[in-house]
Amino acid sequence: MPELALTVNGESRTVDAPVGTSLAQLLREHLGLTGTKIACDEGHCGACTVQIDGVPRLSCITLAHMVDGDVTTIEGLREHPLIDAFVRADAVQCGFCTPGQVVSAAALVAANPQPTADEIRHHMAGNICRCGTYPRIEEAILKWQG
Amino acid sequence: MARLIRTEKEVEGRFEEIWLVIEEDPLQQWPAGPRDVVGRPATRQDGPQRVRGEAAYTSDLQLPGMLHTAILRSPFAHARVNRIDFAAALALPGVRGALGPGEATGLDEEAGYVGAPVAAVAADTFAQARAALDAIAVDWEELEAVLDPHEAVAREIFTAPPTRYERGDFERALAEADVVVEGTYRTSVVLHNSMETHQAVCEWVGDTLNVYISTQYIWGIRAEIAEALEMPADKVRVVCEFMGGGFGAKNGAGEYTFAAAELARRTGRPVRCALTRREENAAAGNRNATIQKLTVGARSDGTIVAFGGEFVNAVGWSGWSTMTEGPMKMLYACDNVRTVRYGAKINTPPMKAFRAPGFVEGTFGLECLVDELAAKLELDPLELRRLNYAESNDGTPYSSKGLAACYDLAQKHWDRRDEVRARSGSTWKHGVGMASQIWFGGGGPPSYAWTRVGSDGRVAVVTAMQDIGTGTRTVMAQICAEELGVPLDRVEVVLGDSARGPYATLSAGSSTVPSVGPAVRAAAADAKRQIVEIAAQRYDLEERVLDIRGGVIVSADGNLSVPLEELLGVLGDAQILGKGARGPNPTGMSVNTFGVQVAEVAVDIETGEVRVVRVAAVHDVGRIINPLGARSQVEGGIIQGVGHSLSEQRLLDPKTGRVLTTTLESYRMPTIADVPEIVCEFVDLPDEHLTSLGSKGLGEPPIVPTAAAIANAIRDATGADVHELPITREEMLRALREAEQRANAGAKETVAAR
Amino acid sequence: MHGGTEVVPLLRDGILEGDTLVDVRGIVPRGVDGARVGAGTTLAELAASEDVPEALREACRLAASPQLRTMSSVGGNLLQSTRCWYWRLKYPCRLHGGDVCHAREGEHREHAIFANDFCASAHPSDVAAALLALGARLRTNRRELPLEELYRLPDEGDRTTTALAPGELILELELPPADASVYLKAMDRQRWAFPQVGVAVARSGGEVRIALAGVAPVPWLLDGPGGLDSATPLPRTAWKVEVARALVRRALERVA
Repeated sequence: MPELALTVNGESRTVDAPVGTSLAQLLREHLGLTGTKIACDEGHCGACTVQIDGVPRLSCITLAHMVDGDVTTIEGLREHPLIDAFVRADAVQCGFCTPGQVVSAAALVAANPQPTADEIRHHMAGNICRCGTYPRIEEAILKWQG
Repeated sequence: MARLIRTEKEVEGRFEEIWLVIEEDPLQQWPAGPRDVVGRPATRQDGPQRVRGEAAYTSDLQLPGMLHTAILRSPFAHARVNRIDFAAALALPGVRGALGPGEATGLDEEAGYVGAPVAAVAADTFAQARAALDAIAVDWEELEAVLDPHEAVAREIFTAPPTRYERGDFERALAEADVVVEGTYRTSVVLHNSMETHQAVCEWVGDTLNVYISTQYIWGIRAEIAEALEMPADKVRVVCEFMGGGFGAKNGAGEYTFAAAELARRTGRPVRCALTRREENAAAGNRNATIQKLTVGARSDGTIVAFGGEFVNAVGWSGWSTMTEGPMKMLYACDNVRTVRYGAKINTPPMKAFRAPGFVEGTFGLECLVDELAAKLELDPLELRRLNYAESNDGTPYSSKGLAACYDLAQKHWDRRDEVRARSGSTWKHGVGMASQIWFGGGGPPSYAWTRVGSDGRVAVVTAMQDIGTGTRTVMAQICAEELGVPLDRVEVVLGDSARGPYATLSAGSSTVPSVGPAVRAAAADAKRQIVEIAAQRYDLEERVLDIRGGVIVSADGNLSVPLEELLGVLGDAQILGKGARGPNPTGMSVNTFGVQVAEVAVDIETGEVRVVRVAAVHDVGRIINPLGARSQVEGGIIQGVGHSLSEQRLLDPKTGRVLTTTLESYRMPTIADVPEIVCEFVDLPDEHLTSLGSKGLGEPPIVPTAAAIANAIRDATGADVHELPITREEMLRALREAEQRANAGAKETVAAR
Repeated sequence: MHGGTEVVPLLRDGILEGDTLVDVRGIVPRGVDGARVGAGTTLAELAASEDVPEALREACRLAASPQLRTMSSVGGNLLQSTRCWYWRLKYPCRLHGGDVCHAREGEHREHAIFANDFCASAHPSDVAAALLALGARLRTNRRELPLEELYRLPDEGDRTTTALAPGELILELELPPADASVYLKAMDRQRWAFPQVGVAVARSGGEVRIALAGVAPVPWLLDGPGGLDSATPLPRTAWKVEVARALVRRALERVA
């Protein structure tokens, strides 16, 4: 089984995993980082969003052996001010999509610290929320203090 | 002293009679208005956990040696498994066990729809289990399949006998009406598609079965499993602290749970059975399609004198036939109502309860019909609703009804019509529409809670309820903190485990706050009473002069002020344990929730694009405990309503009955870019007859009127009548063309008449 | 494989099969250099680039989801398969080598209004329509060709919709200059949906090219706005003709 070296949340990790393992599977099952959720497993819902070199990607359709940068998961963002902003805005209901929302939002505000409502809607459109927390998410990103 | 009574319980519009034990004296409701904690916005206790990804869902659970299950599903709309052979499958690498039809509840020999579960295989990895499915040899016998609900009705293939209802004399009243409006309305199949799929992990520990499951009803799962496996219920432990959405689809155990339990028993290993997203779309339940032929008759002054409806619920292979005619029977004062409802049994995936089942569909038809009546009568639609206000539920008084207050609060949103219409240009037309709603949501007994106060003055509310994302955990903490008199951050809620805590009702049917809330308050009151008794003895004062405020025991004259932990500190390891139970609902009263939504839309009349620009929602659900969480419920319900209205539709291949929209790319739910501006208001007056809280449930009401409000706004903007959900571009263009033809015919008539 | 957004799901569904995955990220050029666009450039990069024509930028901006845009290469996007649910569910349809188009007799509301007799699938690429209108040329490791020659209608003898030879890779796009261009998209929700009808129009001097997404098994060059008169819609795709007419008219007004 090929050995794989990755940097995840600033730490070097080495894992044995068969080729074909998705990054999401690797994170959740091999590295115990279950904050990243799998909801559709085919790149349609955004729940599995992680950052690779700061860019939001879908880890469920990213092959672990093709990862070409530093991976940031929700675990690596636990001190990010967006966490508090989401809680205060009540931007969470069942919470299953929320880690992916935060990862996408963190990437957005890193490039654009004060996005407009239209920019938020455009850049967060790949994170589906069935509970409908969208207005709260928009408020969280508009009001975050970073 | 325990008293045994017989009382009525309602869940999602279905009523049953139950026995109930009542123990303590009822508490007085708090006066209306925000209190120290109740009625004030509170962020979720478990918010940081969920947001940080630290909440453990069933899908995150990994137990040592855990196996993974794949389910074999019927490729035919109707078939029987005559023979099944697992030999080749069991020989594949990693495969540890297999179940055929009849070997677990939910795996059936007769498959009634494409996707019906017939067998299950467990293996070391999910990929191995999936591969093994192809190696199972099955002799299928194809049977006749009925896919068309009209055919089922014609042939009388029903899930239950037709439901007929009549009050007054519909025929006569209709004949005497000045104006009659008729219409056929259709709603499509929509899917719950919670973000966490249906799944369970089962593990036997000795003769106890641990079931970790994504569910809305911990205790219900316990009972179902115990009955199916013929075990004592207390040998089944059901755990669900965090779950990724339900909306009614996760009220029961499902084949995945039973299969996992049986495979775990046979292999001696923990077993996970999780549906894939494709299975979720194909076979995990749905809001069934409806066809509604509706009639309304009114006098020219706007008094509705007759309502009639023929309702066809395309239920599917199994499930129940929801009360689609409910709004027609209940929303308005009308003496003459006649309805018939058919539950068509067809070879399609069975329905499951979905957020206000039947009433979303029925309100769409009814409120569009009533709006068309308003147009024909040339009356203001809101005035027409007010004119036909029902003061009672066909003679039974309401425990409380704030619909008039909702109309009053909605007036200012309704008054925006001219301003909104003025934005119309040559391609984009703007309009405003409204719809009102009635639903249930009074909850009911039984439910229980314990309050545990430690010597450090910290409080735990313990009840085996579930918080499915509605924020009920925080609501319970607020209720306890308010009753006990301690700061909110001293209260922790322990939930989600049937082995830890007493029975709590399911989180569906808008039940949790009105059912568990009063039990929590009663438990807190019990603990408080004990603390006051102790304080009275310790400080040699009368109980009636003592109170707890802000975590401090105080006397009425202000001389005593002792922090709770100081009094209780002397207890050491001993604890104060309070218990509480949900009492009965008021007898002889109809307990309902009400609301109005006003939608503003923009329609591109050349391309058929519909945008929902703004929705103002006013809801009456009794006293609001947490205004922050309550607003989130309203927004979430409206957004699901927008999805139902515009882009969500489960499609079947008409030849084979196979679901075609199996992905989240083809089944389109709203994104953040599809969300209108949402303005949310509550009447927020306690229902003085309902429990010690006066609170009703809010989970369902917000989704009920949204589709109708949107359709009515479209008519206001364009003159076009949409009679079908979802309002696709195809449907919108059809309706626009029809409106144009009507207008031209009208113009020709006028010309001809001159 | 480049971004893998198409290949990974198709492999998992068993529609694509292979023993070896070849990562071409190291050999396919990436980036915008004047009129040349590396096939490995992502849609997100193109959407943010000031140097590409408006139609291409807008097509990229409105395509897919933000995450997919960061992962998808423009070359891969051109080669993506139809979203036809019958095809994706592996019905033995014409594209899978069978002898029937299940969509024609079944659910086809998202399907084609042109060239739909043999196969009624719709091509889902916004970007292909924009590039077609812009008159883009491709350079592969074997040859150069105009974009329209990348595509072919499936027929009895050959069920493929693209004309790359085995071992042939798209390396680069070349964009002729355009005076004005625009991309208008009708989709089922405000974001993250494939085109129901996508209209790309580009004007160079007096010449105007119109290309449509979502209306035929391949990206469709329209022979002037009147080209819609020869549409052959199915019973449930007639509405697309109406939408296309409106968007074509608006797009032409925008580039005039």
